[in-house]
Amino acid sequence: MANQKKKEQQKKMIPLKFFNKQEKEKFIKKLNEQFGIKDIPFSIAKLGSERIIIFSGDVSEKEILGLDRVARIEGIGLYFAKIDEKTQDIRLSIEGVQLVAKQITKNIFELDEKTAEQWMMGQDLNMTTGKKGFYIMKFKDDFLGTGKISAEKISNFIPKSRRLKYKENQP
Amino acid sequence: MTKRNYEPKPLFVERMKELLGKDFENYLETLKKDPVRSFRCNTLKISPDKLKKRLEEKGWKIKVPFKNFPEIMIVESELQPGELGRALEHLLGYYYIQEIASMLPPLVLSPKPDEKVLDLCASPGSKTTQMSAMMENSGLLIANEMKIGRIKILAANTERCGVMNMIITKKDGIALCKRFKENNFLFDKILLDAPCSGEGTIRSTPRTLEMWNIKTIENLSKLQKSLIASAIEILKPNGELVYSTCTHAPEENEEVINFALKNFNVKIEKINLPLKTLAGITKFGEKEYLEDVKYACRVYPHLSDTEGFFISKIKKINKNGK
Repeated sequence: MANQKKKEQQKKMIPLKFFNKQEKEKFIKKLNEQFGIKDIPFSIAKLGSERIIIFSGDVSEKEILGLDRVARIEGIGLYFAKIDEKTQDIRLSIEGVQLVAKQITKNIFELDEKTAEQWMMGQDLNMTTGKKGFYIMKFKDDFLGTGKISAEKISNFIPKSRRLKYKENQP
Repeated sequence: MTKRNYEPKPLFVERMKELLGKDFENYLETLKKDPVRSFRCNTLKISPDKLKKRLEEKGWKIKVPFKNFPEIMIVESELQPGELGRALEHLLGYYYIQEIASMLPPLVLSPKPDEKVLDLCASPGSKTTQMSAMMENSGLLIANEMKIGRIKILAANTERCGVMNMIITKKDGIALCKRFKENNFLFDKILLDAPCSGEGTIRSTPRTLEMWNIKTIENLSKLQKSLIASAIEILKPNGELVYSTCTHAPEENEEVINFALKNFNVKIEKINLPLKTLAGITKFGEKEYLEDVKYACRVYPHLSDTEGFFISKIKKINKNGK
């Protein structure tokens, strides 16, 4: 009976696992290989099966778990990235890219005005680039998330709620 | 142009006349005007100067109404319906569309980077994202909301704005405070932007007039008193709480503050706002409130060209009376 109650309690807990020192180092090493990022001065955690979040709040992991017992935690920190199941490569979210923009030195794909607009409208970009893998999409000063470049296209991951509904300057 | 086809109920008119006196007609006229298109620069992502310049390059005429708050902006040029929300800068989280009156409670609470702050009724997240920016994404911000649908909106908005120092909880506000108290989890600052009858939003949501009834106000007043009582219990000594609503009804405003002052070890603080406001009232109908309730602020559409709001700040007094 007590075990069942404990199991039910665990089911309700937020599926959050903070990275320990080694896991964080491994993650940053991978970020460095992919994008040249050298440092994430915040706590990093895995939320659920695929989301990586970053948390800058001034509270310990133990206190967070305690808080989850006090009130159901529905969200924490900022959605930073996902890990690609097949390649184990990191795909940064829009906010993830913006957060580390100044550190990014590798795998940046510069868009022009037309392709940036198509990108923000959620369209895949049909083009042959000679590149492969995850690239940071950039137009002028704006960092527009991550795209996956394959032989003839760049796959788009802009969520529906963040897409341009029309071409800029055209009502 | 929104069609405004509404008829204020006689009791609403009577009550607003008591509150406003000869200004009532002026108030009614202002409700017919389109609301100002205001927004707040998200300083977690971009500086106000940079955003203003960028939007002006798009051809938008931008006004910064308050010198001390450069993040608060107004679009003065004509825009297509929905254009402010569809713009790339909005999608990238560079600004948050927010009524100016709704920006005032966080300005009054003034959360600092190292503080532990609770936003008790947080969705849709306008004030949560504003407070996170004021805290420079540090300290701890707990944003609570009891309805799952509204949590999704809150989560989407905080994500778009790049909020990292926040934990979202889902619980009834009164029950949440009780659990925090049991676990001695206390806060430096609490924002209680209470659920209310929304009389201040008539200008943007005329349908509020159709739904208006005095019974709702009386029921909300009871809930608001329970919420403020619960929230005071989890303030640290000298901790501060801002109580706000977007309504004019005294039962939901001064009466709630009066209740807090009479029943708890708190005092009301004077506040300064960057726009024209009226003092809290000390008498309404046959009800009388403590003199100090005058330190609360009433924001009216015809005085500030915003929505209507009520804002008050209380401070928990130390056991030694300081």
